Amino acid sequence: MSEPDSRIIVYTCNWSAYSGLETAGSQGLSYPANVHPIRVMCLGRLHPGLILKALELGAAGVLLLGCPPGECHYLFGNTRAEELFQQTLALARLLGISEKRLKLDSLASGQGQHFVTLVRQFAEQAIGESRAAGQEVP
Amino acid sequence: METIEQAIKENRAYYCLDCGKCTSVCPISWREPLFSPRTMVEATKLDTNGAVLHDGRLWMCLTCDRCTQICPSDVHFIDFVRDMRILARGASEEGHCSHGATIQTWMRMMADPSLKQNRLDWLTDDLITAEESDTVYFVGCLPHYEALFGKIGAQGVEIAQSAVRILNHLGIEPIVLADERCCGHDLYWEGESDTFRQLAALNTEMLRATGAKRLVTTCAECARTLKMDYDLGMEVMHMSQLLAQNESQLPNSISGKVTYHDPCRLGRHLGVYEQPRQVIAALGLEMAEMAHNRGRAVCCGTSAWTHCGPTAKSIQVERLREACAAGAETLVTTCVKCQIHFRCALDDPHLHDELNIEIKDLTTLVAEAMEVVSANG
Ligand code: SF4
Ligand code: SF4
Repeated sequence: MSEPDSRIIVYTCNWSAYSGLETAGSQGLSYPANVHPIRVMCLGRLHPGLILKALELGAAGVLLLGCPPGECHYLFGNTRAEELFQQTLALARLLGISEKRLKLDSLASGQGQHFVTLVRQFAEQAIGESRAAGQEVP
Repeated sequence: METIEQAIKENRAYYCLDCGKCTSVCPISWREPLFSPRTMVEATKLDTNGAVLHDGRLWMCLTCDRCTQICPSDVHFIDFVRDMRILARGASEEGHCSHGATIQTWMRMMADPSLKQNRLDWLTDDLITAEESDTVYFVGCLPHYEALFGKIGAQGVEIAQSAVRILNHLGIEPIVLADERCCGHDLYWEGESDTFRQLAALNTEMLRATGAKRLVTTCAECARTLKMDYDLGMEVMHMSQLLAQNESQLPNSISGKVTYHDPCRLGRHLGVYEQPRQVIAALGLEMAEMAHNRGRAVCCGTSAWTHCGPTAKSIQVERLREACAAGAETLVTTCVKCQIHFRCALDDPHLHDELNIEIKDLTTLVAEAMEVVSANG
């Protein structure tokens, strides 16, 4: 059982990133049980609020996984995701939340192993950071 | 707030004469025929099963106070709405924030007493603050708004910097709190009273501990909240009031034709109408009043970031048309949210040609005028 403050939220886009997750599943690759993927059609439909909300509810970190540059299914979603991620980082900084607890990355479709590596690395970094900050368990 | 009966009694809803004056001056009712403060009051009194709490129209009111001011029977409609929202929240209802609840979320995060923020990056070396002073400058969420709305050109940090610059110019070195919290205005009016009280308790403790005698803020909503909904034991004033008191020290250095938009909170809620106008005149600017000014001013269209949509947009656009019709080159306001809402309306490419007007905050305008003098001086 994972501890409540070690939860990691991974927003994946429906296209490249989610297919990476499905590949990991079909290949029988495992990733930590405290990683909670949430599929959205496109990272561009997220909002700083949805990322901050996860932190408000006690997540140790939020990872955003979308399509590689130039491969967005909706053409401009990547750019929008980058924009909203920067807004979120600025707000997190104001709130005193370490930027190591947030990450935006991409994944080409079908990369199961890479998905597992990315979430493992991020989970370790974000959990370490949130414990260092003595984040209270809600 | 426990019962609908209590909300009715405490806010004088029983005294409603059913005259409809409130509805006739309501900017929402002008556009949404199914919204009416009068029928909301009446329906609540007739309601026996609490259905009104689940009526989405409860979240449409701007709490702008236009109706309350005209009510012949002194029904406290905006407080009634707030109390009904507290009860509606208890029944699992809430309004919808058009920004993914980003703003409410940061407010709720600030209610955590252990939060160690990083909110003073904007304080550059040339701005002088002090550990001890008679005056606290309450920044509010200005840096946060800039982070979220900088892409539409919102001025946030610039207002805060201008404020300290002006205070320094007046010989004041203010205290600025490293762990100030949002004043909680939006949560208060949206009926989230528990979180509001947590924020208020944190701010009150920090502010009282400063030993300051006076608090100055550049936000109309912070001013209203800290003055009326907190008990700080110190004088609370909006920057425009302080500037008006120090009118003789303002530089008569700029020209142009501007109009002034009265924010609901500074105007109708606090009754501060003349001081911002006095400051504008002292700077050398010509004032072009809009048809709806002072107590008749129309709200900027959205309150507490809730229920933004075509109605809000239409209110904003009409207000900007009014400003242009008055012949103003710039619309000056004293509330960061009015500024953001008007900028958002101006961002519409279909309106670019028609609405040729700049939006500015009074505090930044004054700081600019001071810079003109020092550049020429
Ligand atoms: S103006 Fe006052 S008395 Fe008249 S309908 Fe509205 S709330 Fe009732
Ligand atoms: S407070 Fe403003 S928006 Fe609300 S009912 Fe009254 S006039 Fe309408």
